[in-house]
Amino acid sequence: MNDQNIDFSMVLASAVHDMKNSLGMLLNSLDELRSEHEESLGESSRFNTLQYEAERMHNDLVQLLGIYRLGENNLSAHIEEHFVPDFLTEHLARHTPLLQGLGIEVSVEAEDINGFFDEDLLTGVLNNTINNAIRYTRSKILLTAGERDGYLVIGVEDDGKGYPESMQHTGTLNFKSLDFKSGSTSLGLFFASSVAKLHSEGDRSGSIKLHNGGSFGGGVFEIWLP
Amino acid sequence: MTDSKADFNPFGKLTYLVIDDFENFRLSMRQMLRSCGADNIELVSNANQAIQYCTYNHVDVVLCDFNLGEGKNGQHILEELRHKKLLKRSSLFLMVTAETSKEMVMGAREYQPDAYLTKPINRAMLEKRLGALISQRNVLMPINREIDRENYPEAISLCLQALPRQPRYKTWLMKTLGDLYFQLGDLAHALKIYDDVLAQRELSWAKLGRCKVLLAKRSLDEAVDGLRDLLAKHPDYMEAYDLLAEGLERQGRPTQAQQVLEKAAEHSPNALLRQKHLAELAGSNQDMDTASDAWRRTVELGTHSIHDNSEHYLALGQTLSDLSEGDLEEEGAARAKEALAVLKKMEKRFDGEEDIGLRSRIVQCRVYAGQGQDRQAAKVLESIRPELQDTATLNAQTGLDYAKTLFRMGQETEAKQLLGEMSERFSDDPDILQKIESLLDEPVGFRQKIKARTLNRDGIRSFESGNLQEAAEIFSKALEIVPDHASLNLNLVQVLMKEYGNNPDSDLLRRCQSCLARLTGLPEQHRQHRRYIALQRKLKGLME
Repeated sequence: MNDQNIDFSMVLASAVHDMKNSLGMLLNSLDELRSEHEESLGESSRFNTLQYEAERMHNDLVQLLGIYRLGENNLSAHIEEHFVPDFLTEHLARHTPLLQGLGIEVSVEAEDINGFFDEDLLTGVLNNTINNAIRYTRSKILLTAGERDGYLVIGVEDDGKGYPESMQHTGTLNFKSLDFKSGSTSLGLFFASSVAKLHSEGDRSGSIKLHNGGSFGGGVFEIWLP
Repeated sequence: MTDSKADFNPFGKLTYLVIDDFENFRLSMRQMLRSCGADNIELVSNANQAIQYCTYNHVDVVLCDFNLGEGKNGQHILEELRHKKLLKRSSLFLMVTAETSKEMVMGAREYQPDAYLTKPINRAMLEKRLGALISQRNVLMPINREIDRENYPEAISLCLQALPRQPRYKTWLMKTLGDLYFQLGDLAHALKIYDDVLAQRELSWAKLGRCKVLLAKRSLDEAVDGLRDLLAKHPDYMEAYDLLAEGLERQGRPTQAQQVLEKAAEHSPNALLRQKHLAELAGSNQDMDTASDAWRRTVELGTHSIHDNSEHYLALGQTLSDLSEGDLEEEGAARAKEALAVLKKMEKRFDGEEDIGLRSRIVQCRVYAGQGQDRQAAKVLESIRPELQDTATLNAQTGLDYAKTLFRMGQETEAKQLLGEMSERFSDDPDILQKIESLLDEPVGFRQKIKARTLNRDGIRSFESGNLQEAAEIFSKALEIVPDHASLNLNLVQVLMKEYGNNPDSDLLRRCQSCLARLTGLPEQHRQHRRYIALQRKLKGLME
């Protein structure tokens, strides 16, 4: 392998890129199918599973590419000023068909504030977090946003059982803390944590917090951005 | 949210154009738009139809897929629509892409879409996203209308009025203000806008804007430092590379400027204008390998671009000709062959353009000569000559290239006569004058040029360290390569005169005389002319 001088991570990255685009097409078709056959598919749990799992794979691949670029030192945050409520409602729209299909109630409680962040990176983080919430919630998801201690805090809350003790933590994750043996690698959290860290202002930088409680007493994911 | 205009449908009044090569996608996009309340929707499958449609119809919102299969892509369409002003600033252009990362589409120097929509797209997403863009468009419409009319002062005062009232669009307003002040040449106000933004937060667009103003203010060092700093944090910020290269070039560091553009082209190889800039820079740095690669890329990228130009083909042909000259090995022959093919392709593609065949043959002649095909070269030259009898109307580029060919063909007198005429005719154009001078100084291939320039630098160094004899030797060696080089001859004269001060040997003066004799007929417009006259006078004094 080395003789041929193959850059294996590069090969992987291009393959992932391809797969991600294929899944994008697949998801597009699923959305169309759903809207064309709203009556018969709306409540179909198998169809919901199909869409959910496809979304999950798509997110994983997006994150994988993000982490690859992080490793190549080729990922930087393009921070701009955004109106937070607009960003959240626009973002949520992507998940609307699936949420409706699953009968999950979703709402946004955001202060009318501007925040500084990279739209694309945060979209990646939220996609993953919302997808997780969809998996563990019973019936409700709430997106929150507000200013606390000079940070913009965006939260995703659900009414599920909450995070197990071992996962609750504060701050940033490093790559070594990923456990590839257990079923859940926390890759999503690692990505979220890395994205948070890319957001810095002066000597402050972003972080994530996982705890239980919130309005519904379930899991609460928070990303804190300076 | 309660809206007093809740029953007002923002989608209804606008006209839409959907561009996608897949019929299914076009239909589903129309379906989604209709369910959002849109009514006037046109569907097309390729670039030509899209441009045709926009030529005769007003479109408010364009939804364009980036990847349209063979031929032009979405970026080409955007460039052409904005370049030809077929799409107003107040109209929205949305690029639909399958890429979550924007690498593929990113990196164009001009013309960014108003938004990217990432597939998969569903109705809810489209409604929210497009709805927000449309209400932004409506709020900012009066400003954009003034910008379309190029009434910038009015646009500025509207931006300033909107600023406290529209906190939601603060970024847009500040960016636009900075840009408008810059366009008007009000650099102080432009700088203040960026400084205001940066006082609150270190945002990369504001840093870039600030550096752009600094460049315009000729604060080159500060601009270059700022841009280096910006790129250290954001190595994928393409516009910063372009500006940094410009700054370095103006600081007189063309080699570093070239390196910066090479790096940018590596990150984002699809921006035609950047490749062209790199090609020109490498060419003037005598780095012909890089220049030919970049010209080749420029030509390729031109296939579907509004920026395509016969000059790119010609420049590629010229560069390949320079590279292949005197190289009779396999590589040289291949380059010569490629040069001829490129020129032929140019003649076909730009058939009907004035002088296109003539310009092609001027280069062809050199290619043949450089490959030792003297008879073929002479034949081409004879076919050019009658068309170039009347040199008084010759444009500068053609004239220079013809002179270069004449030098290669050993027709020095004719070449010099032509350049002399031209330096009179273009006496008020310093760029052309400089090109004429360089050609008069160094009418040789680029490899010899590099050799002579290196010797000249070495000679100056010896002179500065007081080693006159060594300096004289080195300058003489350089003059063997380029005997008519004005400043080289004058450099040698100066060295010899100084040596004469230490050691009054009349042979030294004779050598001075023969150097100056070579410069008889140096055009008055030549930048070395005054120095030439001064040294001539001094020599006369010494000889009396």
